[in-house]
Amino acid sequence: MTDCRKANLAHYAVTIIGKDRPGIVAQTAEILYRLGCNIEDSSCTMLGGQFATIYILSHELPFQRELLEEGFSSISATTDLSAFIRELKDDEVCYQEPQGELCLVSVYGSDKPGIVYKVTRELADRGVNITDLNTKLIGTPESPVYVLMLEAALPEGMSVDDAALLLENLRKELNVEISVRLITPVAL
Amino acid sequence: MAVRPIVLYPDPILKTPTALAPGLDAEVLSLVQDLVDTMHAGPGSVGVAAPQIGVSLRVCVVDVSENRRGKENNHGTLLMINPEILARSGAAVMREGCMSVPDYTGDVERATEVTVRFLEPGGETREITATGFEAVAIQHEIDHLDGFLFLDRITSLKTGLFRRKNYK
Repeated sequence: MTDCRKANLAHYAVTIIGKDRPGIVAQTAEILYRLGCNIEDSSCTMLGGQFATIYILSHELPFQRELLEEGFSSISATTDLSAFIRELKDDEVCYQEPQGELCLVSVYGSDKPGIVYKVTRELADRGVNITDLNTKLIGTPESPVYVLMLEAALPEGMSVDDAALLLENLRKELNVEISVRLITPVAL
Repeated sequence: MAVRPIVLYPDPILKTPTALAPGLDAEVLSLVQDLVDTMHAGPGSVGVAAPQIGVSLRVCVVDVSENRRGKENNHGTLLMINPEILARSGAAVMREGCMSVPDYTGDVERATEVTVRFLEPGGETREITATGFEAVAIQHEIDHLDGFLFLDRITSLKTGLFRRKNYK
């Protein structure tokens, strides 16, 4: 058991997605509240016309996963929301702090297949750990522009300049703009 | 001279605007020294404001000269009694952390240049124009004196608030 997990708690990840409308968060948070669950971490956002929600939640033991499943199957049955429940193992509960310098990689250019794959594959092959990634299609329908922004922890020994150099070939191959900048936090 | 414990949010003193320091009495001079000692004791800290050590007076200290971001561009140790920002210009985003809000950092937009006037322990009124990281640090500390935390300056939780990683 890892140090940060409390022995008396069960942890779950609940992912919910559905066509956006007012009330999705209230509806799903109410289920958790009535079950006595604590929302320990969450992220909810619009992706296209979908509202996507991820809750990391805990409940004091004893707790039955079936209660969660019943709660969310009821809203899946009566709404257009889809829910997925994942029980978290000990080593999945705690946030693993990324090591190394933190950098922000911005990629943008004419929309074409493969931008996300090629950029992330290049980084993965060098041990760069992506901690956050967002994409958006902007521009006009006639001239769509694809934007990818990701945060990544560089492995020991790799500088921001090294990371930029690593992506230089991709910049030419994909005909996109790529910039890499340091965002390691400052203490004040 | 003392390293004082850092007050952590949700202590209400961190959200209370401070009172003007009454002058250069022994209490204020001792406070300045405690702030310097506490700043130097903090891990990588480049500034401390009086509310962070439990004193609601308009006093803070800033020193970015030992930090790699501020090494090339700084005014040394700034001991600021009743500081006042006279002018701001430019804007840049930097990911900030705060000793009073441990475990989180956030992207905050600050002016890239500030002109600040303050009283020094020696009795002189000083006016400086700071840029870059030093300007950010000054704004962060003066925010403490006005009852603001960096959490008040973050525009987006989704993209702006992050768990803190180690920093040096």
